[in-house]
Amino acid sequence: MVSKQFVLKRLLLLFPVLFGVATVVFAILHLSPGDPAVTIAGERASQEFINEVRSDLGLDDPLWQQYLRFLGDVVSLDFGQSYQVQRGTPVGEILANRLPITIELALLGEVAGLLFGLPLGILSAVKQDTWADHLTRIGALSGISVPIYWSGPLLILLFAQVLGLLPTSGRIGSAYFVEATTGFILVDTLLAGNVEAFRSAVTHLALPVVVLGIYQMALISRMMRSSMVEVIRQDYMRTARAKGQGAKITVMKHGLRNAFIPVITVIGIQFGSLLGGAVLTETVFEINGIGTLLVDAISRSDYPVVQATVLVFAVLYTLVNLGVDVTYSILDPRIEQ
Amino acid sequence: MSTETQTPAVDRGIVERIRASPFLSQLLSNRLAVAGLAIIALVAALAVYARFTYDLETLLATQFGVNPAEASPTAEYPFGTDGQARDILPRVLYGAWYAVLYGTVTVAASTVLGVGLGIVAAYYGDLTDNVIMRTMDVLLSFPSLLLALALVTIFPDELGLWRAVGALTLVYTPRFARVVRGAALKVLEDEYTDATRALGATDPRLLLRHVLPNCLAPITVQSTLNYGLAIIDIAALSFLGFGASPGEPTWGMMLSNGVEFGLFSGAWWWSFFPGLALALTVLGFNLLGDGMRDALDPRMRETVD
Repeated sequence: MVSKQFVLKRLLLLFPVLFGVATVVFAILHLSPGDPAVTIAGERASQEFINEVRSDLGLDDPLWQQYLRFLGDVVSLDFGQSYQVQRGTPVGEILANRLPITIELALLGEVAGLLFGLPLGILSAVKQDTWADHLTRIGALSGISVPIYWSGPLLILLFAQVLGLLPTSGRIGSAYFVEATTGFILVDTLLAGNVEAFRSAVTHLALPVVVLGIYQMALISRMMRSSMVEVIRQDYMRTARAKGQGAKITVMKHGLRNAFIPVITVIGIQFGSLLGGAVLTETVFEINGIGTLLVDAISRSDYPVVQATVLVFAVLYTLVNLGVDVTYSILDPRIEQ
Repeated sequence: MSTETQTPAVDRGIVERIRASPFLSQLLSNRLAVAGLAIIALVAALAVYARFTYDLETLLATQFGVNPAEASPTAEYPFGTDGQARDILPRVLYGAWYAVLYGTVTVAASTVLGVGLGIVAAYYGDLTDNVIMRTMDVLLSFPSLLLALALVTIFPDELGLWRAVGALTLVYTPRFARVVRGAALKVLEDEYTDATRALGATDPRLLLRHVLPNCLAPITVQSTLNYGLAIIDIAALSFLGFGASPGEPTWGMMLSNGVEFGLFSGAWWWSFFPGLALALTVLGFNLLGDGMRDALDPRMRETVD
């Protein structure tokens, strides 16, 4: 059992980290050479107007006042309005619409990675140093070496253009309109009971998920292999076999549970690369998640959107790692010390 | 005659040195690691060759009239030509130079910064340690590519791809600091550190001559694994539009242009070959880095993010 104290301690540790994260985000935007007032007023605006915008935004207040106000806004989840990407729309609203899209993509990518990565890793460990092992390891190393922005377009070329099996971009056909209840397109189409739309969403998401999943699969199978190789050599495994238990059952029952623990940590650490991968995947497949939002906002100097998006990404990453730590302590109670 | 007697002597020296180092001999017995080393050596050789053979101005300029535009690969243009009628092969080779140059600077800068911070944190402990490491923790709580994207904006546009180098240096530094701090703490517990101090060694001497050399192994592994990552991340930033200027023969830029303007109108070679070069180079570093990690400690479970 996981103690309440451990979870509480980890939750309390969140605050200084989030405070630091907010400070870094504030610092980055104030170190940027661009002037938000000019961005809003437009390049050709008069100096008076630019000055007016600047004092409206409070950008001529002392830095410490701006910093405190920023922290206050973060705490009250008020991120202001978009300057450029969706002019005048509250940033919170934009994020609420687009965050589920990225989370759905990332989750599906992670699930795909686990679905293929775990069996491959176990196979590789059980058949250590055979051709199956070598093939899996080289495959995994290639998987983490091939950039998403290369494999993605090539797969689009093959499956969408040459074979004509799958659509090239987006996450659902333009003919379908489904109300965004949860924001997850697969769930929303099912909730609406629209099977056709669901099928369209599945075919649209297939390639992005594969591209994102390949990288996760490679990482997970590598980790699973090295972890399982070690577990297989343990005494309790030999004991189980000596008692007459079959090889397969021993690996699946005793091996998997113990070997899986370090893999969970890796999933947590690698959640960062999953989010980075999601940004690239969204760009390649023209999916309107918060990844494309961030890229868009940075290139158009939409500071409130950049601030909020980077914060959200960091919070997501931190929360997932908190979740991983707690799961870890449930699976292996010794960790708490 | 004299050369014949000299050559074996030199060889024996190397062989003995390799034997004396279990790390090297184990690394060289790993076929995949050797393959990785070979790929890296080839890329480095091609990079230097391209840098001193081709004229950058020519590679940048459009070549209409000289070459056909978007010609598919043939004997004359093994990698085809792009939309500006430029021969792609020399551009891919020159891209190796950029990858090696920018990759090296990124890794070197983050290694130096990270090693410095890590050793200082480990040695001075207390407040210094806390301030440094908590700052590193905060930087590590951002997904790396996203932090790099945000950091690119603090550098002026004129810096081009050096903006990506600057941003990624800051992103990678905490990893080195963490690894080095851990290794340095172990070294500082050893008795020879006390002995050195008792002999009157100053702080900088102790850190540079005694602590640092004993942390070299984990630093090397981390650098190698980060090398491949740096190359792939620099290209990713170019691909997303932050870094290289249009037409510049970097792999990321060629890939981005090739995908945007060529891939779906039939000119697959435009983005295919730069991407292949990029993937192979990164694979080389991953193979070597993996082999190094195994040679150092087969059970070492550090992973790169």
